[in-house]
Amino acid sequence: MAKIKLKTDRPTHTAEFIKSDAERAVFLGNPALDNMMSSLIALGTEVWSTKRRMNVLEALLEERGVTQQMIEEYVPTAEQEAKWEKERDGFIDLTYSPLLREGDLPVATPFSHDTK
Amino acid sequence: MTINRRSLLAATAAVGSLVGSVFGKPKTAAAANTNVNLSPPGDIAPRGSKGRFERIPELNLESKWDFVTGFRKFQNRFSPVVKARVEKIMEAKGLDPKAQLTMEESLELVKDDLLVQTSGRTWISNQQVTWKIFQDYYHEHAEEYLAEMEAADNDGPGMVEFDPDLNIPDYIRHEIHIQPGGYIGDPFAGHIYHHGTNSFSAGIPFLGDNEQDQIPIKQVARLPLPEDGVVKRILDMGCGIGRYTAALKERWPDAEVWGIDVGGPLVRYGHMRARDIGIAVNFSQRNAEDTKFPDNYFDIVTSNIINHEITAEGNKRVIAEAYRITRPGGYYYPIDFQSRGDRNVAYGQYRRWWDHRWNCEPWSPAFVASDFDAQIEKAGFVFNHDTPPAMPGFGARHAVKKA
Repeated sequence: MAKIKLKTDRPTHTAEFIKSDAERAVFLGNPALDNMMSSLIALGTEVWSTKRRMNVLEALLEERGVTQQMIEEYVPTAEQEAKWEKERDGFIDLTYSPLLREGDLPVATPFSHDTK
Repeated sequence: MTINRRSLLAATAAVGSLVGSVFGKPKTAAAANTNVNLSPPGDIAPRGSKGRFERIPELNLESKWDFVTGFRKFQNRFSPVVKARVEKIMEAKGLDPKAQLTMEESLELVKDDLLVQTSGRTWISNQQVTWKIFQDYYHEHAEEYLAEMEAADNDGPGMVEFDPDLNIPDYIRHEIHIQPGGYIGDPFAGHIYHHGTNSFSAGIPFLGDNEQDQIPIKQVARLPLPEDGVVKRILDMGCGIGRYTAALKERWPDAEVWGIDVGGPLVRYGHMRARDIGIAVNFSQRNAEDTKFPDNYFDIVTSNIINHEITAEGNKRVIAEAYRITRPGGYYYPIDFQSRGDRNVAYGQYRRWWDHRWNCEPWSPAFVASDFDAQIEKAGFVFNHDTPPAMPGFGARHAVKKA
């Protein structure tokens, strides 16, 4: 049995649980490949460079009267929501469509002169 | 909360409209709640609310949620690709691609195929990221969110009670859906589950957006009335975070509505959220196998997708308990998958495999293979087969206790 430890004196109403072994799963025959896939997806959630750029932009905006609170409380219009969702799906398509590729040629396959 | 009553009313009206449009006209329209406590004691909603949904507390976290949800939608594109791949593998082996196989037979065919396995790997990896981003956030802010729940514990409308000595069956101590700590182990299991399941349903075409509790409201609208029309008491077994429970109270506002679950953090969150949206439900940490309610107490005993997370033996006890506490003329309606046997096409069986093995659904294959409906009848209930399923595509299980 496992237990989550949090530094608190407050009641948590928790109980011991049975830990899953999903962290050890190897789907792709090589744990390094599995790990790379997980990293790729985590990378997608972060998009670190974009986030960092946004931080700088927000700091600059705040100096010019656009506060963090105004940004946090901003509610997009229905049109903006639809546009952003389309942009998001485009981003995902670009980044992850390669996962659908059905590669079948081993690396040592000779060059094919087949013109069909 | 920073919303005002006017915007909330507009949002709830929209939910009511959606109930009618997506699922067809329900027998009884679900009345969306309008009695909202706008400033409950100790409430934390740093980014305000959207209708009856408190916005995800940080923009960055919301954006990550948006990404994993988008990735779930992308995952649907694997289905035709992997299905074709599996059929190609079967043809290459001289097998009928439409053959009905067991889970183990299917796994043997595809276990070394990297394209097929990529579909499972990426789904599981995305699921792991989904849980992690929320667990990390709530653990980082543990004190403030624990204080928020403490303030809600003794506040109403509605109430919550806990049983630190509850005998929790081992079968439900697993990290179902690989949610860290499962339903019982993390103090923020309710928060994490709420956002995780919103992502899950948004990624499944036949479920869709559930931010405004559209799905449970639609389910409840499809529940039948007892033959005599009397609904004074309702029980939701394994209520989780109580969205379905709250929807029951919205449809039958004069009824005494209970939601029970073995997960202390789940009923705690469920109470807090019902309180926030002004719905008076009694939440209690109890086991559906042994609810402690008197005989014949409820007009309706129902549950929402819990039985496939329970062992066959556990389900027998849950059904027997449902029979004991349902009054003559009342009914039991467990919403869950259809139990269709242990064979399917290879692709379907592969999906079932990784959901079972790696998304931690320990009992789901056995449930699907079991004759769950026969167990209900054996307990004494009589099915009304004229009632359509409360969840399209799921089992239609309107089980009446004869008067």
